[in-house]
Amino acid sequence: MKVLKSALCLILIVAVFSLAMFGLNFYTGPLAEANQAGSALAPLLAVMPDGAAFGGDALIYDAQDAASSALTDVGEEVLRIYREANGNGYAIQCQTIGNYTGDPMELTFGVDAEGKVCGIQVDNYTDSIDARTQDENFLPSFLGQDSTLAEVSLVAGCTFSSSSIRNAVLAGMEALTANNLVSAGVKSPAQILTELIPEVAPGMAQGGVLKATEITPSGSMEAAYQADNGTGFAFIIDEASGSFLTMVNAMGGCAVYDVDGNDVTGSHDALVQEARTAAAANQQDFAEACQSKLQRMYEGAADINPVELNTFSTVVYAAGFRFENTDYTIFYCRPTGFDQMDVYVVLDTAGAIAKVDAKQLFFDTDYFPVDDTVDQPAYKAGFAGMTADSFPADAGVISGATMTSNAVRLAIADAFAAFSQLQNGGE
Amino acid sequence: MKQNKTSYLVGGSPAALLTLAAAFVMASSADLRAAVGMSVMVIASMLLSAIVMGALGRCIPDGVRLPANLLIITGCVSLIHMLMQAHFPVAVNLLGVYLAALAASPMMVQNAEGDGEAGLGMTVRTALTTALFLATVMIVCALIREALGSASIWGHSIAFLEPVKVPILSGAFGGYLVTAIVMAVINAVAAPRQTEKEEDGK
Repeated sequence: MKVLKSALCLILIVAVFSLAMFGLNFYTGPLAEANQAGSALAPLLAVMPDGAAFGGDALIYDAQDAASSALTDVGEEVLRIYREANGNGYAIQCQTIGNYTGDPMELTFGVDAEGKVCGIQVDNYTDSIDARTQDENFLPSFLGQDSTLAEVSLVAGCTFSSSSIRNAVLAGMEALTANNLVSAGVKSPAQILTELIPEVAPGMAQGGVLKATEITPSGSMEAAYQADNGTGFAFIIDEASGSFLTMVNAMGGCAVYDVDGNDVTGSHDALVQEARTAAAANQQDFAEACQSKLQRMYEGAADINPVELNTFSTVVYAAGFRFENTDYTIFYCRPTGFDQMDVYVVLDTAGAIAKVDAKQLFFDTDYFPVDDTVDQPAYKAGFAGMTADSFPADAGVISGATMTSNAVRLAIADAFAAFSQLQNGGE
Repeated sequence: MKQNKTSYLVGGSPAALLTLAAAFVMASSADLRAAVGMSVMVIASMLLSAIVMGALGRCIPDGVRLPANLLIITGCVSLIHMLMQAHFPVAVNLLGVYLAALAASPMMVQNAEGDGEAGLGMTVRTALTTALFLATVMIVCALIREALGSASIWGHSIAFLEPVKVPILSGAFGGYLVTAIVMAVINAVAAPRQTEKEEDGK
């Protein structure tokens, strides 16, 4: 009897509370569900105007199930696209590719019905230096921009991070315009030509990102850029017939491009002259530094004759010289590795590497003690005899010093390309 | 000193209560907001369960008093949890699974009740006192841990503490450390009272 009473007591308590929870669930259940849905949509609502709402069918593209979406031509940066329930635009969740640390950053941005960015936030920032604090105007600069993102500029000191964020937003915008969800913005000629610079002058870029400082334009120039590594200048010049990109390298070589990317140098002498004049006023002279280095590398080198090149690579100076009755060509290259580098590549008449030297290979050695593990003279000597055709894919690779390795390899590749141009009469 | 049920806490061994409550005290005291949220839960759940237990006190057979109290407080915590999920979802996410640790609290109330002969009023008073004590400990620990561990209070950073903050205080080790120090202080304060009670009883 006592046991029965005890059991009944417990069962009664369970029954009473179960009924209470069952009844309370009618009130709290819908509220809890709405809260859960709200928390999932919180990042989307944060980038949309007040009053925006996302229904159950808001998701129109999911990268994890792209085949089931009607959208096409969606870049790999785009993770998800949501359609706002009242026709007020779209919210896009993206990830970055090619940022500094390599770990993708995730961001969400909203696009209103007119195709302009109405809100943006970075949900997960993984790079070591925060571009948002380096330049507090970086994220706000996206607001009101159409698919061209014309007014969005990169953050100095966080070029890779800010560039990757910009590219992610660009990919999201392109996904919307490619599928006619919003109208595409029209890029100005200046914007088109500025975006052309890394393509036609890789020496002024790093990883496809322009590494140049905007300088005061002169004359009929709309914009002027000076490469951070001294490899040359880019000028956007307006003429009656349109806008043109005029490139000048460190040796005075010049090229002119139209908005379609065509080389129109031959028919724009006036632009060439104007650009050369502007460049000469600001161009750093690398001849003395290279010749001084040459004497240290080849004591007694004679018949030093500078050569003119029309390359827009990392080569800033080149000269032929004679040493012990043998002719060589030295190429002074300024690639950007972990920091700005000065690499000297000497090729013989057959185009084979005679010597490679650098002013400094490793930087910040307190944090990156890789220099303790590398025999630098042996490393440099290891390139001897290699030609453009026999240059191995892993030549010069240093484990733990990827940026340095890539910079040295780039300098050598640019030297080979410049030598080839010389052999072909400058073309 | 006259023996009453509240003297169990103040004149008894309050540090022992902390041992039972250590899990959610440490988990919720890294941040003042979490500590306040948990304190509200503790007070509400203990008050509600004390009212129910006090009302049913004489109806529950002695042999099943503990499991019955456990079911009652679990039910009360579940009801309050449902209400918090509906109206304070952020607090629920912050507290997470440590809400379940509240189910250990009937041990504290039962011990205070003794043999279950205390009436409704005494039970409620004991539960309220216990809950307020635990809430005070949580908030004191949170003030110490958040200020010295994260250089902030209620999520707002305190600039002059930034150079001296000790991040480990925000973690599990810091929780153990601060709780232990607080328990030691409580023991030191309560020990003279315990000694006095024993001498009165002789």
